[in-house]
Parts: sequence; C-alpha cells; structure tokens
Amino acid sequence: MKMLMNFLMLSCKKAASLIDKKVEVKLSWKENIQLTMHKSMCNACTAYEKQTKLIDKILYTHIHSDSETNIPVIKNKELQKQIITKL
Amino acid sequence: MDTTNANATIKCWVELYSDQLYTWAYYKISDRETAEDLVQEVFLAAVHSFKNFEGKSDPKTWLLSILKNKIADHFRKVYRTNANNTVSFNQFFGSNEDWISDQRPQQWKEDEEQHLLDNPDFKKTLTHCLEKLPANWKASIVLKFIEEKDSNEICQELQIAPTNYWQILHRSKLQLRKCLELNWFKK
Repeated sequence: MKMLMNFLMLSCKKAASLIDKKVEVKLSWKENIQLTMHKSMCNACTAYEKQTKLIDKILYTHIHSDSETNIPVIKNKELQKQIITKL
Repeated sequence: MDTTNANATIKCWVELYSDQLYTWAYYKISDRETAEDLVQEVFLAAVHSFKNFEGKSDPKTWLLSILKNKIADHFRKVYRTNANNTVSFNQFFGSNEDWISDQRPQQWKEDEEQHLLDNPDFKKTLTHCLEKLPANWKASIVLKFIEEKDSNEICQELQIAPTNYWQILHRSKLQLRKCLELNWFKK
C-alpha cells in the first residue's frame, strides 16, 4: 500500500508543472493518474489549474485577437507622415 | 494593377489603418520604436505584394496578417539573442516541493476573460506583467499565441527541445500568475 501511495504521490511543484505540460504535450498514463489524484486532494493546485487556463485564454485574446475592443487607439501622426514619405 | 495605383491605395490605407496597427503592435511589443518600425515595414511590404491582395479580404485584416508575421519574426530574433535565461523555482516552492505559504494559489474573484480584456486598466497590468518576464520567455509566449502554430512547429523554428519549451511556458505562467494576482486580483 505504501509503495502504491509513493508511486501515485506527487509534490505540488511536480503537479503544477504537469498542469502546464499537459497543454503542450500529451501526458503519460502514469502522469495523468498522478495529477488527477493530486488535484483531488489539493485545493492550491486545483486553483492553479483554473488560473493558468484563464491566463492562457487571456493571452490568446490579448496577443492573437484582431480587434482592440474598448482600448483607445494611440494616435501617431508622425509615423503616418514618415510612412507616406517612404512609400 | 500598376504601381501608381497601388501606391495611392496604400497611402489611403496608411491614413485609415496605421494608428490601429500601431496600437495593436504597441500592446504586444511595449516598445514604441520597434512598434513604429514594424508598422512601417508592413506598409512597405504591402506595396510589394499588392498584387497578392486583389481585394480578396478586408484590407485591415490583410495588413494585420502581415503585421503578425513581422511581430513573430521580431520575437524569434528576441528569443535567439536572449536564450538561456533561467529563474529558480525557489520563489514558489519550498524544499519539500510544496507551495510556499504566501505563494499558494487562492481563488480569484473575477474570471471572465473578455470582461477583463475590455478593461484598459487590466490590459495595462497584463502588459506590465508580460514586460517583467525575461525577454526570451515573453518571446516564447507571444510566439505561442500570435500565429496559430502547434508547439512542434515553434520548437523547430526556435531549435528548442519540446521539454525546454513547455518548461519555459510553465515558468512564465507561474510568474505571470503571481504578478497578476499581486497587481490585479488581490488589489
């Protein structure tokens, strides 16, 4: 039993890294079980997963999205002039 | 279409779209000069490849796709010249590998991403937190999201092992999470 527990137990450091690894790489079955076990017992890592997923969504919208909704446009007349002279 | 025509059209686009493109680039790069240079390059590139445009899409969408390529090129360069930045995990985890008590993630109140991103103050906080990451980490984050490429492709372009790549993203997200928590969610 103790061996089984040792096999399944993860530290928070490892669990947090698996949470972010999972987004990029497929986890092994062992890692998946370890992570699920860990999250079922650990509020901090469960919160971490929720927040890192939110951060991913925020970054996607911030970096990828084509529109800057509600963000004031920065006027740059100088740049406009400069480009027009170079064309 | 002849070049005079292309030039006239693009001059008109400069007036219509350069501020929007500049704003867009500025929020990704946080550096005025680089953002200006890239926007300028976009219009010069647009003159060259004007025949590929052929009015197939909305001009702003087309210019933005050129800008995205330029920004990705920029961050690939940044990544290469700043490789090997490391930050230790010790600030987050103790010797027992458990979260250090004041670093333990707690529930956040707000979590609607669109609502957050419509808020200019949040956008500023996010930009500030991204800026505080080591240059090559920020580059990896931008490259992950700006073009829709999978991680294998990005790893090949950056000549980085997949393990290295997700670890950089992981460390960046630990640090971003902390920064957003301190400067936004717990304020």
